[in-house]
Amino acid sequence: MDEVFKALADPTRRELLDRLFERDGQTLSGLEAELPMSRFGVMKHLKVLEEAGLVTTQKRGREKLHFLNPVPIRLIHDRWVGKYAQPWASALSELKQDLENEEEER
Amino acid sequence: MNEEQAYAVVGGRGTMTVFEIYIKTTPERLWEAITSEQMRKRYSFGVGTVSDWTEGSEYKSAVPGVVEIASGRNLEVDPPRRLVQSFTALWSEEVQREGESRVTWEIEPVGSSCRLRVTHDQLGESANNELYGGWPMILSGLKTLLETGEDLDTPGSLRYSGAAGA
Repeated sequence: MDEVFKALADPTRRELLDRLFERDGQTLSGLEAELPMSRFGVMKHLKVLEEAGLVTTQKRGREKLHFLNPVPIRLIHDRWVGKYAQPWASALSELKQDLENEEEER
Repeated sequence: MNEEQAYAVVGGRGTMTVFEIYIKTTPERLWEAITSEQMRKRYSFGVGTVSDWTEGSEYKSAVPGVVEIASGRNLEVDPPRRLVQSFTALWSEEVQREGESRVTWEIEPVGSSCRLRVTHDQLGESANNELYGGWPMILSGLKTLLETGEDLDTPGSLRYSGAAGA
């Protein structure tokens, strides 16, 4: 679980997860094209995500496809968030979101 | 569809999704947890799955008299390693419109644990994410059940467990 928290502690890695959420099963080249970062940099971050189990890969011919694996995030939710996030907590987080969206609309 | 063709459709979100989890158990126990109606209920929102688990046989996931969740056929049955099923979601009109997809369960022993990989593919382009969105919660509950013998009780995970017939 430490590995998951560490992997999530980096904004580029969170960005990579968001990209895979939008479009799953991407190649390294596909991900690299979307990020202002070297191929080597993207590779390094993907490796950390893979080691944390947040990204899984499958081979297709010579290509390697990257898939978002949200299960470790669910495990964190069930262990660390669910317990504390009773309905009032989710109501507060919704309130925060509403207020922030209003702020953006202005 | 062969493997190459299956991969060829990978593109937009939703054509194929992969879920992986490590569970401290044996392949046999894990296979049992996937195919036993009673065990399955405990980590699948209270929904049991009934089948005789032979190749080509049908299966049904439901809370009898309350809600039908899914049905399909067992395309490959190779205990305790591999189960391939066709999958048609039934719980709402929206998901019924998505038609048939495929779910592959693969169990691989790793040390004293097992890696379980669930691949949900042959989904339509931009498929409704309700179709595969439940997998993380189901797999988390499966891990909790096998490792602790207890039910996961986070909000939502017991949705139908108090329902009549469950």
